[in-house]
Amino acid sequence: MDLLPTPEQEEIVASIRSVIAGNHVTGEPLTDALWSAAVGQGWFALGLDESLGGVGYSLVEEVLLFRELGRACVPGPFLATTLAARLAATAGDADLAARVIGGEARVGLAERYDAERFSVLDGDGAALILLIDGDRIALLDAATAVDATSIAGFDTLVPVSLVAGLDTAATLAESNDAGALALHGSLLLAAMLAGMARAVTDQSVSYGIDREQFGQPVGGFQAVKHRCADMATRAEVADCQVAYAALAVRDGADDGPFHAHAARVVAARAAVENAQVNVQNHGGIGFTWEHTAHRYVTRSRVLANCLGTTAAHLGETLTAAGPR
Amino acid sequence: MNLDFTPDEQEFREEARTWLAENLPKGVRPPDGQPMREFDLAWQRTLYDGGWAGINWPVEYGGKGLNDIQQMIWYEEFARAEPPFTLNNSCTFVGNNHGGPTLIVSGTDEQKSFHLPKILRGDAVWCQGFSEPGAGSDLASLGCKAVVDGDELVVNGQKIWTSYAHVADFQELLVRTDPTAPKHKGISWVICDMTTPGIEIREITTMSHVNDFCEVFYDDVRIPLTNVVGQINDGWRVTMTTLGFERGTAFMADQVELASVVERLIAEAKVRTGPDGKRPAIQDDEIARRLALARAEVAALKAMTIAGISRTQRAGVPGPEGSMTRLFHGELHQRVYQLALEIIGPDSLRLTPVDGDGWTGPYLQSFAYTIGGGTSDIQRNIVGERVLGLPRVK
Repeated sequence: MDLLPTPEQEEIVASIRSVIAGNHVTGEPLTDALWSAAVGQGWFALGLDESLGGVGYSLVEEVLLFRELGRACVPGPFLATTLAARLAATAGDADLAARVIGGEARVGLAERYDAERFSVLDGDGAALILLIDGDRIALLDAATAVDATSIAGFDTLVPVSLVAGLDTAATLAESNDAGALALHGSLLLAAMLAGMARAVTDQSVSYGIDREQFGQPVGGFQAVKHRCADMATRAEVADCQVAYAALAVRDGADDGPFHAHAARVVAARAAVENAQVNVQNHGGIGFTWEHTAHRYVTRSRVLANCLGTTAAHLGETLTAAGPR
Repeated sequence: MNLDFTPDEQEFREEARTWLAENLPKGVRPPDGQPMREFDLAWQRTLYDGGWAGINWPVEYGGKGLNDIQQMIWYEEFARAEPPFTLNNSCTFVGNNHGGPTLIVSGTDEQKSFHLPKILRGDAVWCQGFSEPGAGSDLASLGCKAVVDGDELVVNGQKIWTSYAHVADFQELLVRTDPTAPKHKGISWVICDMTTPGIEIREITTMSHVNDFCEVFYDDVRIPLTNVVGQINDGWRVTMTTLGFERGTAFMADQVELASVVERLIAEAKVRTGPDGKRPAIQDDEIARRLALARAEVAALKAMTIAGISRTQRAGVPGPEGSMTRLFHGELHQRVYQLALEIIGPDSLRLTPVDGDGWTGPYLQSFAYTIGGGTSDIQRNIVGERVLGLPRVK
């Protein structure tokens, strides 16, 4: 039993980090260069079996990837595209899977907004829409989705539109195991949130060391130091549970779903709370548009509402079969 | 990364489960005094006779030499067996988890051969003598004085918050042997025989109605110099070794146990009437969410414990990250019992013992979890300074 990455997994993480660092600036939109590099490294099929056209790693390595995407607050349709690749490949549509894995077809994420409409994230420029509606997960042809209205995004790097006409959009592939796919997605999302919780902790610590007031670094004051310690603890809680859950789900453990819901809950709480506290730790500069602190505030809130709200996952945490 | 148990570990779990089912004491642990001491020592003797004493001690010192994962398995199986007492509440705790391990690392051959078998066999109770009225969180400022006189130390001063001093045979005692040196450099770690003349023990009743908390007064107490562990004035280093065990696995039993407490609380919430006076408590949205969160958080606590073991396996020694686990565990433990009191409603009018299935006694006891063994505020300092590298400023 070991919850830390193996040397090989650490190499994977280092390589992902360097790709992100070389092609993305936190707070800036997604670059084509990063998208191409992601395709080049096989990110959208990292955890897919080689027999399905994937790289052949597992959910655990995908979780390590999404943690890095969260850390750098990378915007863009990475989550929906990765899930779409898995959906298409496992549904037997190799051509569609290849288009997604090759990065030609970007995928927006549609979830129910109200009785009539769906919200679509990252729909701009998306060829496909991953529809998550109750127990159904399907890949739709974005070109056939009508009646879309763009709204101002709470996170300005995550385009949002409201679509009434998704019912009539053409279905290209239907998930044959929506439950498993949703669980998989929850874990990738939890990993992003855990990465964000860690990133803002690092921001606060750096600032606490660099920023001086009253003739000393502000991180020396317990009021700040203790907030940082709480942030680090929440990030650690999230990281550990996400790692445990990824292993349990990968191994097909009976309590895998429980651990995944628990991971999604603690990671979302850690990301949201830490992102908020991080603004406070930075004082005036943290409140500016120029600083990236607000990016984590809005992104963590957006992600905490994807693939089921945190409250919904909390409900599942109570009823799922727990550890024996 | 993997969640696999080795065949050895699986076999160990089976053995532990079988043995615990047959040997765990039945009935209630006496709440105080000699009967409590006898109960705890009898359990230690049962462990010893069954070959389970010193599970984390090296084999050469009579222990089982088990790895941290096996220890966790042991604690899991112990909790699963629904024991009538909690491991960390036993008066054998200090001997097993502080005094014994410190002697193993820093003691002389004579100290080891005299004391270690007594601890393992359940022949001796140890207590801690660290805190003083003026030295709590700032432990290194302790002032209990010891002066060398011939081949003895003469101790004068006071210790406080000494659990089980009134039933202890020996004490791990920190004394100031050089008042002129910087505060960390003038401390010695000595073994104090609690029957020595000049020792006076007063029991302090805690808010949880327990009398095993004590203060200890020393009036010209003579301790042989051969009882010094490590060198004179090197006690702080010896102490840090001891505290390293706390960061490592000493609280693992509590952490594992909390998972079964939460499951028991969920079961309670299904049968107790909720706040609306009609439906079961678990159907109340707020209670359900708080229970769900507790369930998620104890799962995460276990994951943290395993991550800590993984880290220790790589580094060789427990790191400061263990303070995050301590901090999270202490506060989570309290949240669970706070929630319990809301779930049991009118039954919170009834006082229950700190051990056992009741909720109000353990609730009162839960306040200790963010104070003992380094307060949560001290844990936050350790996380801030030693994990995160934030500056240490007065």
